[in-house]
Amino acid sequence: MKFKIRPATKEDCKEISRMIMELAVYEKMPDQVKITHEDLERDGFCQNPFFECLVAEVPEEHKSTEGFTVVGYGLYFYNYSTWEGRTVYLEDLYVMPEFRGNGIGKGLLSKVAQVGKKKRCVRLNLSVLDWNTPSRDFYAAKGARDLTDSEGWHFIRFDGQNLDNLANEAPED
Amino acid sequence: MEYSIRAASVEDCKDIRRLIGELAEYEKVADEVTITQRDLERDGFSENPFFHCIIAEVPEQHKTKEGDHTKIGYATYFYNYNTWCGRAIYMGDLYVMSEFRGKGIGRALMSKVAQLGRAAGCRQLNFTVMDWNKSARDFYLRQGCVDITANTGKHFMRCEGEALEHLAQP
Repeated sequence: MKFKIRPATKEDCKEISRMIMELAVYEKMPDQVKITHEDLERDGFCQNPFFECLVAEVPEEHKSTEGFTVVGYGLYFYNYSTWEGRTVYLEDLYVMPEFRGNGIGKGLLSKVAQVGKKKRCVRLNLSVLDWNTPSRDFYAAKGARDLTDSEGWHFIRFDGQNLDNLANEAPED
Repeated sequence: MEYSIRAASVEDCKDIRRLIGELAEYEKVADEVTITQRDLERDGFSENPFFHCIIAEVPEQHKTKEGDHTKIGYATYFYNYNTWCGRAIYMGDLYVMSEFRGKGIGRALMSKVAQLGRAAGCRQLNFTVMDWNKSARDFYLRQGCVDITANTGKHFMRCEGEALEHLAQP
């Protein structure tokens, strides 16, 4: 199946928002999605964007049963390792179920890696839920190492009231 | 003990590189550090920096026994994005020299990162810790954070070296 991968534009944010919700449903957490396409427009297309995004598009004749031609996305941003330097973090990778098996996911992942390489990033990092065997296998097949398994990396998070409490304790400038 | 926390400037990169080396020693990976002072200057202090840094400093009278250092701790951070909640801040490194621990400096650095994140509209402060680093893990859990890996099974994965080269082939 023919498809094209290109950088997202502001106008794509409604589609990206739709697919974020589809991915959240797949991850069994649809009620966790709080942001809207307007948040994406503001945060992805400002002077110092918080993220970059690629979308996968199919021609009209292959549009989805509901009429969509934007059928996948990869959302990423740049991080930094004080050991090795610039890194890219792939936050989301998603392809609509009816378009899987056509190399679109692989195409998006490769394109993110290419973009990172152009910026001289030495690592591509991402995370995956342990029960998500198809995704774990997909990334492992591409040579990704599971650092939680091999080295004991754990994600830690502050949010809500705990984050506010922590922030309120900061010393004055 | 008196100390101050401030934004790092490009002139701090020599000390930041020294502190990075010490943290790597502590994490038992000192020989994996390939970054240089020059990399830090370029990547942290350009128009679209890859990272930001804050420094903890003590007055002259409290400088280190060895090396006469007054810059005795740091934290690096950068902005991330969570497609469910929006803007997030990620703390890369948090380190205080051993002779200055137990005085609240580590906590103050982390609080400052949280404050900067909130000021930028971030709803999460994220970072990682090694499961064997019990003292760090306990420190963070005491501050009210959540271990996402333990709770949701989220695994951190990495592609680098040859695997990354291969992946980036058109």
